[in-house]
Amino acid sequence: MRKSYFLLMLIIVVGTAALFAPQLNFSLNWGLTATLLVILAIVAFFFEFEAAAISSKEIALVAMLGTISAVARVPFAAIPNLQPCTYLIICAGYVFGPVAGFMVGAITALVSNFFLGQGPWTPYQMFAWGLAGVSAAYIRQLNLGRAGLIIFGALWGYLYGWIVNTWFWLSFIYPLTLKTFLLYQLNSLWFDTLHATGNALFLGLFGVKTIAILERFRQRFNWGLLDTTHPPRWETRQQS
Amino acid sequence: MINFRYRLKGTPVHALNPFAKLAWVASIFVLSLLFNHPVYLLLLFLSTLPLVITAQIWRQWVSLMKFTLYLCLAIIIINALVSSHGTHLLWQAPFQLPLVGTPAITLEAIFFGAGMCLRLLAIISAFALLTFTVHPDDIMLAMLKMKLPYKSVLAISLSTRFIPTLIEDAARISDVQRSRGLELDRGRLTQRLKSRMAIIIPLLSNSLDRTVQVAEAMEARAFGSGQKRSFYKEIALKKPDIPALIMGLIPLLLGIFIWWRGMGDYQYYPALARLGFTGLEGTLLALLILSLCLMLPLGLARKRIEVD
Repeated sequence: MRKSYFLLMLIIVVGTAALFAPQLNFSLNWGLTATLLVILAIVAFFFEFEAAAISSKEIALVAMLGTISAVARVPFAAIPNLQPCTYLIICAGYVFGPVAGFMVGAITALVSNFFLGQGPWTPYQMFAWGLAGVSAAYIRQLNLGRAGLIIFGALWGYLYGWIVNTWFWLSFIYPLTLKTFLLYQLNSLWFDTLHATGNALFLGLFGVKTIAILERFRQRFNWGLLDTTHPPRWETRQQS
Repeated sequence: MINFRYRLKGTPVHALNPFAKLAWVASIFVLSLLFNHPVYLLLLFLSTLPLVITAQIWRQWVSLMKFTLYLCLAIIIINALVSSHGTHLLWQAPFQLPLVGTPAITLEAIFFGAGMCLRLLAIISAFALLTFTVHPDDIMLAMLKMKLPYKSVLAISLSTRFIPTLIEDAARISDVQRSRGLELDRGRLTQRLKSRMAIIIPLLSNSLDRTVQVAEAMEARAFGSGQKRSFYKEIALKKPDIPALIMGLIPLLLGIFIWWRGMGDYQYYPALARLGFTGLEGTLLALLILSLCLMLPLGLARKRIEVD
């Protein structure tokens, strides 16, 4: 059995147990449990990549795309949250499939944090950006067009903030209710809105072009790791 | 020029084995989440300070703490606004807020917020040591030792290595574009984004070509040909490092034992409990903090061995 399936089962078991812990009057440490689940999910994707990456080509590709998006994160740090990295991760996942998308997102967070500072938020950032890449691969199959891509990008601006905020909410706020969750999200609403606007602008202005560049590269070298997605649709036909 | 936050300085903390430091940071992280007793959290925070001072990262630490204080403020305000579990009412608002209702600030909620701030300070302070004194390569080595899949770690490691190269590329491209009349900081928002992308898009196509070279170089070195890969540099655990590694893990085990015995759990609501300790709890807590602080003399000893 693949190790990632084993990890998935472990995540389901721990998650279900956590779900029923309050009913059984067992006081769970939510901050630790959430971190454990997120790390398990990241490791599961790592194992998935281990199985999907057949040669050095896939490793080099994922590393390079992650580097570009990490580099794009650092110089933009002066303008809060107007970063092109989410958009680059979405484009990478869109073209190269869910596993590559996750890896690019996870690498972006981990590697850029060597420059910006590691912390307990690192796994959550890896997870959030990784999921942005994964979902981009599936959004492609819906064939939404440019407007859909823009909305999708804006949505990830907020989702990213929510995922990263979750740990802070779980660890430092009492009581853990929907009300306090929403209140905590309000705290970062301004940053998330900027992030969402940036994503929408980047995807609207340069999404088609970037996807075309990546798509052309994929076809030119016939890179593996991507047989789970459908062949290209509207975007590249416009160009070629 | 952008660099790693990590700097090699010849301090005792830098001389410590990276795995020991990782274990130590993990201990502080887990323990400060397990305990909610303000005295425990304060002591955990204070026990990071000797290492911070010895590692000569004081200035970076202070700027990090300024950022943390902003988060602390948010934690105190939100806890004070939402919690209605306290009994000692300090202030009842004469107005209503959406989502919150009528804010009623209680002594207990303020204390809880303060306790959580100590928790955050302890965690951030411990992670500062990780960021500033552990080389990224050592973190990846630790990931390998923890049996994480090799190819993923290799991808992360490759990416770390390519950051400086790509930053150089980006600087060159922006010089070229500027010489063609691109103005980076002019115009409206969309105009600015467009001029940024005049750097990102060439960088993208450039590095995709580089990807092919990297892959070919790896193939040329017979990557993936053997079942078991070999390393240029094998980092063996040296004898002087073993006590440090054990000392990194002892606080974690001791702390989990204390937590399992039901200590370190402070009751903030409905009314603040007494802060005192029983003799046993005090002894165990002292042992815990002592075991956390023992990292420093071990670093000094390690440094001396290095000098000899």
